Amino acid sequence: MKSSPNKGVLLQYWLSGALGGWGGTSDGKHKASTNAGGSVHGNSRPGAAGGGGGKVGLSGGLTQPAGWQSLLSFSILFLACLAGFSSRLFAVIRFESIIHEFDPWFNYRSTHHLTTNGFYEFLNWFDERAWYPLGRIVGGTVYPGLMVTAGLIHYVLNLLHITVHIRDVCVFLAPVFSGLTAISTFLLTRELWNQGAGLLAACFIAIVPGYISRSVAGSFDNEGIAIFALQFTYYLWVKSVKTGSVFWTIGCCLSYFYMVSAWGGYVFIINLIPLHVFVLLLMQRYSRRVYIAYSTFYIVGLVLSMQIPFVGFQPIRTSEHMAAAGVFALLQAYAFLQYLKDRLTRQEFQTLFFLGVSLAAGMVFLTVIYLTYTGLYVRLLTCYAKIHIPIIASVSEHQPTTWVSFFFDLHILVCTFPAGLWFCIKNINDERVFVALYAISAVYFAGVMVRLMLTLTPVVCMLSAVAFSSVFEHYMGDDTKREKPPEKAEEGLGPNIKSIVTMLMLMLLMMFAVHCTWVTSNAYSSPSVVLASYNHDGTRNILDDFREAYYWLRQNTDEHARVMSWWDYGYQIAGMANRTTLVDNNTWNNSHIALVGKAMSSNESAAYQIMRSLDVDYVLIIFGGVIGYSGDDINKFLWMVRIAEGEHPKDIRESDYFTPQGEFRVDKAGSPTLLNCLMYKMSYYRFGEMQVRRGALTPPGFDRTRNAEIGNKDIKFKHLEEAFTSEHWLVRIYKVKKLDNREPLDHKLRSVVPKQKYTSKKVPLMLGGEFALQVWRDSFRFS
Amino acid sequence: MTRQSPLLATCLLLVAALNLEVSANGLVNEEVKRTVDLSTHLAKITAEIVLSNQGHSAVQSFILAVEEDLTPHLAYIGMTFSHVLRPFPTHVTQAERQLVVFQGNHYLYSPYPTRSQTTRVRLASKTVESYTKLGNPSKNDEIIEYGPFRDVAPFSEDTMKIHYENNTPFLTISSITRTIEVSHWGNIAVEETIDLRHTGAVLKGPFSRYDYQRQSDSGISSVKSFKTILPASAQDVYYRDEIGNISTSHLQVLDDSVEVEVRPRFPLFGGWKTHYIIGYNLPSYEYLYTLGDQYALKMRLVDHVYDDQVIDFLTVKIILPEGARNIHVDTPYKIDRMPNQLHYTYLDTFGRPVLVATKNNLVEHHIQDVVVHYNFNKILMLQEPLLVVGAFYILFFTVIIYVRLDFAITKDPAAEVRMKVASITEQVLTLVNKRLGLYRHMDEVVNRYKQSRDTGALNSGRKTLEADHRALTNEISSLQARLKAEGSDLADKVGEVQKLDGQVKELVCRSCQEAERLVAGKVKKEAYIESEKTLTGKRQELVSRIDSLLDAL
Repeated sequence: MKSSPNKGVLLQYWLSGALGGWGGTSDGKHKASTNAGGSVHGNSRPGAAGGGGGKVGLSGGLTQPAGWQSLLSFSILFLACLAGFSSRLFAVIRFESIIHEFDPWFNYRSTHHLTTNGFYEFLNWFDERAWYPLGRIVGGTVYPGLMVTAGLIHYVLNLLHITVHIRDVCVFLAPVFSGLTAISTFLLTRELWNQGAGLLAACFIAIVPGYISRSVAGSFDNEGIAIFALQFTYYLWVKSVKTGSVFWTIGCCLSYFYMVSAWGGYVFIINLIPLHVFVLLLMQRYSRRVYIAYSTFYIVGLVLSMQIPFVGFQPIRTSEHMAAAGVFALLQAYAFLQYLKDRLTRQEFQTLFFLGVSLAAGMVFLTVIYLTYTGLYVRLLTCYAKIHIPIIASVSEHQPTTWVSFFFDLHILVCTFPAGLWFCIKNINDERVFVALYAISAVYFAGVMVRLMLTLTPVVCMLSAVAFSSVFEHYMGDDTKREKPPEKAEEGLGPNIKSIVTMLMLMLLMMFAVHCTWVTSNAYSSPSVVLASYNHDGTRNILDDFREAYYWLRQNTDEHARVMSWWDYGYQIAGMANRTTLVDNNTWNNSHIALVGKAMSSNESAAYQIMRSLDVDYVLIIFGGVIGYSGDDINKFLWMVRIAEGEHPKDIRESDYFTPQGEFRVDKAGSPTLLNCLMYKMSYYRFGEMQVRRGALTPPGFDRTRNAEIGNKDIKFKHLEEAFTSEHWLVRIYKVKKLDNREPLDHKLRSVVPKQKYTSKKVPLMLGGEFALQVWRDSFRFS
Repeated sequence: MTRQSPLLATCLLLVAALNLEVSANGLVNEEVKRTVDLSTHLAKITAEIVLSNQGHSAVQSFILAVEEDLTPHLAYIGMTFSHVLRPFPTHVTQAERQLVVFQGNHYLYSPYPTRSQTTRVRLASKTVESYTKLGNPSKNDEIIEYGPFRDVAPFSEDTMKIHYENNTPFLTISSITRTIEVSHWGNIAVEETIDLRHTGAVLKGPFSRYDYQRQSDSGISSVKSFKTILPASAQDVYYRDEIGNISTSHLQVLDDSVEVEVRPRFPLFGGWKTHYIIGYNLPSYEYLYTLGDQYALKMRLVDHVYDDQVIDFLTVKIILPEGARNIHVDTPYKIDRMPNQLHYTYLDTFGRPVLVATKNNLVEHHIQDVVVHYNFNKILMLQEPLLVVGAFYILFFTVIIYVRLDFAITKDPAAEVRMKVASITEQVLTLVNKRLGLYRHMDEVVNRYKQSRDTGALNSGRKTLEADHRALTNEISSLQARLKAEGSDLADKVGEVQKLDGQVKELVCRSCQEAERLVAGKVKKEAYIESEKTLTGKRQELVSRIDSLLDAL
């Protein structure tokens, strides 16, 4: 709130600055770039030449301004990398070198498999420990870039006899790559604007929370390396559009290939680059350079991307990739027309043009029909799925982004980046078209899903750097140079205003740095596998319940035991406990997950049937009622019910788990279905006897997470028994008992229940026979 | 001739070596006091024997026999047996106590006849389910006393069976790998990888955390934590397993040792196991002795893990520095040596020698020192730093080569021309500056002349100026021609500079002439000053124009 008046003032300054200062540099692309590189040159040369003109020529190196400049930018870049690396180490310093959260555990496990069994074994890996009894073809369903990168680093280090454990390679991979991201962002911004802006952008991306959230040490996930690949691909693309050289384009394709191997977000590239080309065509900015760059990129990039097993033939089949193909065809047609234009007369050209257009229209029509039946239809369906399939909706990172999180993740940059965008559009050239499109599309995607904030962050850093850089150039510019051409003097810009604006900008940047560090340290540096709580005197308690329970499973259960848990914990169980799981975070089979959800939300005997049929040996749940941990299974329970209901609407109904008032309650007022379902019983088994010490007045069985006394304190199991509960009750593991030798028989010798049901259904229809039926039924009852 | 001896001091021959001839040599056990200590999970049997030789010849040794059943469990002749207390019942629930059975011999198993013998059994608790009642033993709290038995024949056996409550944790190290890595840079790194198992009665039924937390006697025979004593100089202690640091441990530094309170991630109940790694660093000066090229490492072959420890299988690996030769090991007791291995770690080229040894069934008494002698050439210490230096040297050298040489396979004429032009311009700049410097120098000469009136100095100054100026101007015009040849439009600017320079030169000459005339008295001082002023003004204007042209270059 406080920054909004500032922003208005600043914007005004920027506008005036832009109007005054940037008239001269917009005359051409090449000129702009050379000027940009030499802007510092220009400022400092007169001084040096005047002082020791004779010496300059004789001794090179640091006495030359260029030497100073490259040393300075090198050290700034190096420091940015270092800051980026070290600010991601909070978790390692506070806790330990450990893999975080959920997905990283799978990546770690796969990397471990890769390093122990080799690359081809990894590609052919069929993991029979996941998705019991289906298994998972891991080699064909992962983006292998991350594992291969980590594995390669580990291999090279070990080749040099630097005996680093693969875990440490995995933990520190993301920070190292964020250093590389800073470099690639520097390169890209330098191509777009100038070196100063590049350095600022590198500093921003190094510490901006939006990117740190996905790349702290231990967060061994695809995004960690993918953002580097993304930025580097864009840099090489801009370079190839600028030069029109096949060399840079091939470099771009290789980088794209790496991106495809690393992250599903490569779709963003394969749509943005065609969009760029398309907009360039629309803007009459077609040139040979663009033609060479895009034609090479599309063909080589397509062939390379199809080498990844998981991607396979998708680039020529699915709708996400159709835009690229369409633009490729369009570009060829456009180039052909350009060619014909030179050869034909106007009349011939026009007839040919109409012929061509009608042919193209027909083609487009057919394609549209084809697409409607295949790709587009699917795409619409996936959009539908995103909203209506509970399993996708249940993931918190698929929620729409809130305004707060924009500010939280980007801080001041979110305010300054429109200014940078404005500068770019004002002084448009081929590559600035690109960055404008990048910004606009990334903003849209970030608004749709929280996790896509990640793709927005780099462009925000770049454009904000442009904004800051222009402002600084304007207000901190060398006075000596400004004085020389007096006709350019800005009206009313005294040294006071200059220094005030500069101070203000510096203060904003300082606040940004403070905010970034604070957010990184407080919000994004928790491993979530290990929890920490702080006492009143500031000492720290470590709650290590997850690892306690997982390690118990690893050591004290049969090697092939099958563990049922909600899918969130699948990867962790596989990674830490090394046991077979039924479902995991790779949520590819909805019905299997629904079956687990159904088991959790049914009563014990129904659940036992399901668990028997799935060969379950142990059930693992997370229960936070003792310590007040809010991310536990009871709080996730409604999603289990919903997902189960989606597949088994006859057996599970969400409404059964609510009170008549529509509340989800675990206390006495809660619905009986809830109070007797398996999840409830497993969570609260023997909890009713427990006095949680939190003020003396709480009754036994008081759930601290939901602040309620539980409603069912008398929980007995018939088919399960408690196998392990961790120290703070956070993880509870139950053993599924084998069948008894014989089902105990009830005393009823003959079961007539089905028939009875059948008749009773008919009763209202045959009113006349009611009495006779009653007699008939009674006779059974007393027999 | 009698000899009283605790068994510790005796030598051992195996039971298999026994035959009847042995008893014929006339040794008799006069009085035997046996103590069987069953208070822990080990059976420690001590016997005080008064021995008499009733034969005719002197006896050098006597034979200690061990019952055939117990032989596989014999860990140490002290005598300590591991795994002879069998839990019975084998499975207990969390609330139940652990009962064990000890099966042994009432008599001393000996190849010699025994005159008189007592056996005292110490138990872990007062609760005894049953015990054999040979010769009306007396039971007093935790102690059962048998005997005295008179005149027992050689090799007599009579089963003693005691079934009693023993809640001491039956902790067993099923395997331990102890790695000692010696570095001559002052550090010895020790790492122990331990597989731990509770070998008492197996937990039956559920494990209830509620009961375990609320009732103090719930799971009484389980292991919550134990203490490991490390050497006093141990530093950087870590305690971890495959999935990371085990955060439940505590470290206490005492005067003579470092105590680690090792708490496994979860309490160990009967039948449960765990696995962990504990490691620390030691300063090498306390353990490594040297004399010239000879080194001796004196360290414990196996160290303390917990009190009354039982180790089923031990592997020791001693990693010596790269280049250690003539390795020779002195062990305190017999261990099985495996073939040596090679270990590669930081900056190694041909690998460090690794000594590997294994042994079964160890107890606390096996905590003894092993000495490893080896030779090491001190020059080899330099190998690693030199390797690093060399690597950096090669790196920088490559960068230097790469930056200086042009590896492009195609030539970019435009860039080349640009670079050429830039270098020529640079030269032009220096030359022009030099030429301007000449004028300044000339001014000084003129000023000096005005004071000294030395015409010779002026003339020689003028001559050098002329000569230097001509040389410089020629050089510049040749550069200008080259610029023109490159097709750069900068050539015109250089031409302009030349033209302006000609005018400057003229002015300098004129001021020189003026000065001559002044000295010769041909002009008035005022007039001279006037003309000088206009000349300087003109010159400054010209020079500033040249400067602006140079800036544009």
